[in-house]
Amino acid sequence: MINKFLGFKPDEKLLPSKTVTPDTEIDLSSHKYQKIWLGPNHPGVTGNMAVELTVQGNTIMKAKTHVGYLHRGFEKLIERRLFVQGFPTSIRMCVAEPDTNEYLIARCTEELSGYADAVPEYANWLRMLSLEMARLAGLLRGVPGQGGTFALGIGVQWGVYLRDLILDRFEELTGARVYHMYIIPGGVRGILPDGFKERMEDNLRDIDDFIIRIKKLMFHNSVFKQRAKGLAVITPDMVDKFGIVGTNARGCGVKRDVRKDNPYLYYDKLDFDPPTATDGDVYSRTWVRWQELIQTVDLIRQIMAKMPAKGDIRAKMPNVLNWKIAKGDTYVRLESGRGEYGMYYVTDGSDKPRRINLRGPSYNHAISVLEHMLIGADVADVHAIMVSLQTCPPEIER
Amino acid sequence: MKELIEKLSSKYELQEVTYQRNNLVFAAINKDSAIDAVTYLRDYEGYTHLVMMSCVDWIEEGKLQLLYLLNSPSQKNDIGIRVYIERENPEMVSAHHLWKSIWTYQRELREAFGINFPGSPRIEENFVVEGWDDMPHMLRDFDTHEYAEKTYFPRGNRKTNDPAEYMRAKLYPNQPVTAKQRKDDK
Amino acid sequence: MSFNLKDILTPFTAWARVVKEPVTIKDPFTREANERYRGFHDNDVTVCIGCGSCEAICENQAIDLVPVEGIETKSGDSGLRPQVDYGRCCWCALCVDICTTDSLRLTNEYTWVDTDADNFIFTPGVTEKDWYSKEGGWRKPGAGYEFYGKERVHMEELHADERKDSFIEFVKGYSAEQAKKEADRCVACGICTATCPAHMGIPEYIKAVREDDMEEGMRILYETNPLPEICGRICTHKCEDVCSVGHNGDPLSIRWLKRYIADQIPADLNTYKDILGTGELAKNGKKVAIIGSGPAGLSAAHYLALLGYSCTIFEKLPEAGGMMRYGIPSYRLPYDQIDKDVDYILSLGVDIKYNVNVGTDITLEQLSKDFDAVYTGTGLHLGRSTRITGSEHENVYQSVDLLRDIVLGKDVPVEKKIVVIGGGNVAMDITRSMARLQMKKYGEVNVIATSLEDEDHMPADREEVVEAREEGCTIIPGYGPQEVMITDGKVTGLRVWKCLAIFDETGAFNPKFDEADERIFEGDMVIESIGQGMDLSYLSDEIKSKIEFGPRGRIVVNEDWQAKGLPWLFIGGDIIEGPDVIHGIANGHRGAQSIDKFLNEGR
Repeated sequence: MINKFLGFKPDEKLLPSKTVTPDTEIDLSSHKYQKIWLGPNHPGVTGNMAVELTVQGNTIMKAKTHVGYLHRGFEKLIERRLFVQGFPTSIRMCVAEPDTNEYLIARCTEELSGYADAVPEYANWLRMLSLEMARLAGLLRGVPGQGGTFALGIGVQWGVYLRDLILDRFEELTGARVYHMYIIPGGVRGILPDGFKERMEDNLRDIDDFIIRIKKLMFHNSVFKQRAKGLAVITPDMVDKFGIVGTNARGCGVKRDVRKDNPYLYYDKLDFDPPTATDGDVYSRTWVRWQELIQTVDLIRQIMAKMPAKGDIRAKMPNVLNWKIAKGDTYVRLESGRGEYGMYYVTDGSDKPRRINLRGPSYNHAISVLEHMLIGADVADVHAIMVSLQTCPPEIER
Repeated sequence: MKELIEKLSSKYELQEVTYQRNNLVFAAINKDSAIDAVTYLRDYEGYTHLVMMSCVDWIEEGKLQLLYLLNSPSQKNDIGIRVYIERENPEMVSAHHLWKSIWTYQRELREAFGINFPGSPRIEENFVVEGWDDMPHMLRDFDTHEYAEKTYFPRGNRKTNDPAEYMRAKLYPNQPVTAKQRKDDK
Repeated sequence: MSFNLKDILTPFTAWARVVKEPVTIKDPFTREANERYRGFHDNDVTVCIGCGSCEAICENQAIDLVPVEGIETKSGDSGLRPQVDYGRCCWCALCVDICTTDSLRLTNEYTWVDTDADNFIFTPGVTEKDWYSKEGGWRKPGAGYEFYGKERVHMEELHADERKDSFIEFVKGYSAEQAKKEADRCVACGICTATCPAHMGIPEYIKAVREDDMEEGMRILYETNPLPEICGRICTHKCEDVCSVGHNGDPLSIRWLKRYIADQIPADLNTYKDILGTGELAKNGKKVAIIGSGPAGLSAAHYLALLGYSCTIFEKLPEAGGMMRYGIPSYRLPYDQIDKDVDYILSLGVDIKYNVNVGTDITLEQLSKDFDAVYTGTGLHLGRSTRITGSEHENVYQSVDLLRDIVLGKDVPVEKKIVVIGGGNVAMDITRSMARLQMKKYGEVNVIATSLEDEDHMPADREEVVEAREEGCTIIPGYGPQEVMITDGKVTGLRVWKCLAIFDETGAFNPKFDEADERIFEGDMVIESIGQGMDLSYLSDEIKSKIEFGPRGRIVVNEDWQAKGLPWLFIGGDIIEGPDVIHGIANGHRGAQSIDKFLNEGR
């Protein structure tokens, strides 16, 4: 408007292009574009990951994900450890839901050594319980976290408190709050303490209340709807091209859930249906996760009702100091809060694994998908997109 | 999964067929036909989801074993295609035209094992170890313990004792010993 | 942008939380962690034996074993205690889960602030800390959770009905699968090696069983013990008594695993020589005489032959083995197994002369002239008598004599009712042997064995007593013999009084009896088995004047096992210490080394 008033007509060729595609030419020396770094300061739920953005004004032309701030070399370290020593190291590969790593290492060693069916029933139920509790703890931070990216901080405060209560339950069951070191090849490391079910039920009632409050706070929220609807749409044909799994896939209607497709433990005995949405944008994904929160609470209630009262917690296995496994390899997967989480495990006949390779869902989500999603997005929405894809850098770089 | 293996073996030469579980099978295909087989599985057999691409170092045999792990969402099972390549200057055909996510795996393998995938996007970029100038770090002959001792400053005031050796020194120092004890003496 | 009033107003319902009680914990530092929480270490150093399993399992190599002042190294306790480095520990509690004595635990303390970083390497239980008194913390989970097998693999034996009338070996031995499973239980601490008198490489040969490498196992056995078939059957297994797994479970069956290795190698001398690398042995021209072909003599001969010496063994009896053949019945140690071990030693170039009695057939002085050194291991072959009234009767026998006669094939007197005095392994040997002979001759068993010691303190191995009772023998411990009853010139029984105490306040042998509790055990013969003595009649007066004698008539030796006063005379076996086979073997080995040192330094 001002330009019309002043009578100034800028040369259109000197302005940055209005349309943005992956193939748009970017000439940094033309001063139309600017490179800014986002991260790797820990912006909450997204983790230590940097995104190098090339922007014009507020619009992102190109993005590059830089990982490597959390590379601890765990896969190589585990190659130097005995089979039973691997699990304390492996769980640090994913901070948000460490139990998944414990379960994968335990399951792989059991399968390769022939003890897959020897794990007692009670131990398997306890494993399921700790996996679902881990999913609950992750969702309690992830669901309101989405609101946090739109400066709706109050949900995060509520969620973190309730997650702390779940960590109290973990402390009671496993002996530690964040890195549980509870699932071990052959079984688990402790029985269900007395009174656990009652205390858990108290916490679940609080969470039921929270679920309703979050719905009112986020899903009946005009600001949230305006910002989240239509943002970062994933279409169903992208799912297989990019290897998108978990809630990100279900957010656009592609129903993928390892618990239903390749059931493990006793998930085929439980009654649940993975939720899906159709739009594939940030709002749908958050809504799917919120549904999953309700479902996880229900699953925990079902598990606590169906599990046996007592039993052995570990199978009789060879002496842990002398245990050797014959040459072989396997791939075991499970459904974590973020999607399909798997481990490729190779043994060579000695008492240490030859190679373990973790496949985290964020490997594709945080690099290929994010870089694709960010093209044409607004700088202010970068965090929202990252959180909605549930990027977790520790599992990318191990 | 047996039908799938039969169909596949009629087109390609399969080796080391291993039925790991009733929903997981591994097979080894030679380097030249591997990408062809993977494309066939993706386009005609419904194995559209690439689970992961991995590598194992079999240093004793002088080979690296690549693994393309594919999943069929409709049939709900997995097939792993193993490809053996030479350990010296390893190279493999890039598969980035098949999946939009595989370039990350190839980039990681280039840094970790030294395998080159000519034509793969951004293959020269480092992945997790910035400024690394040593050998590819996931190879078996890279000794992390030795690297740590060389690069970092351990707190040097730790010394351990072996119970059997200690008891020998205290209780029966001058008596005949086994070959192992004689070796430990030196 | 659609205008939806509900969507604008609903989020304000969050304000309802303003009136709720805040959930912040004001003082987090006094929060007590849960009773299962994995916090800082504590170790009960009086129970800990320093086995090192915690160090082996720690995945971060955070634990070292260090000596502690005030804790001494002794048999069964290495004297070392774990020291933990909290710069590396991740509190996974694998060390607690594997602790063989349940002494290491994690308390639920989680706060420790210090200005000196080196203080975070400390010894739990030794370094002063205030959380040791906390009750809560991680302990072994129970409910079937164990890192190594607690129960021993059962060794199959012939049933009592099958074995009570025959001298066939009744312990069947482990199969390959059983042996591997038993060997898998070992945690390789190495504490057993110090207790074994021969200091055998026990964890190493157990590892050879696990890895199915019988040749390596044989090599490890022969490094310290040239009689593995024999020891694998009848060793007193002091090692098993200190096995760390035995603190909270069954100790490893070390003896049966040794037997398993030796059993896998066939009795072919060429195979032995191939495996042990003793095909060609260079000789150094020096000669050593060995008196007695018991464990001490055979062991000395074996190790001297390996060092290049030409040995000649002088054996009084028709066959080699000493007490092993002539004292231990063949149902425990078959003769062909003795032959297997002995034949290999002889094949190394060792010469043996049977039925030669040193002292009468050839003098010790002659040996000292013909040979460069003499090793004597003559053992304890004289029985000791109770000297009670009636013990001079001809139907009162010594167990050693009867056991020897059984082996020599002589006609041994077997009466219908027999009484045995004694509660040790030899007494059980003669009791069970006579029971078998009674079964063969009369079809029924009637043997009563009695000892001064009561049931819980009988010196015999527990399994001997149990098996003897299974075979029909009657064992009545806790009585002391007073008189052999003789009527019409024939032995009719043994009169005994209840024994109240064996030793008096000074520790001297001075048994006290209760005369009111008297019993008569009926028997047509009485066998005394209360101890053995040595026969040193081959030492002439001139030799005796040169050497010294110590307590219980034993010859005094220096630390190299040389007789004090006669540097060319070396002594070992039961006449010096023991008495058992493994001590003899250890003595023989050390004697061989001492002879080598003596002969290379000049006389």
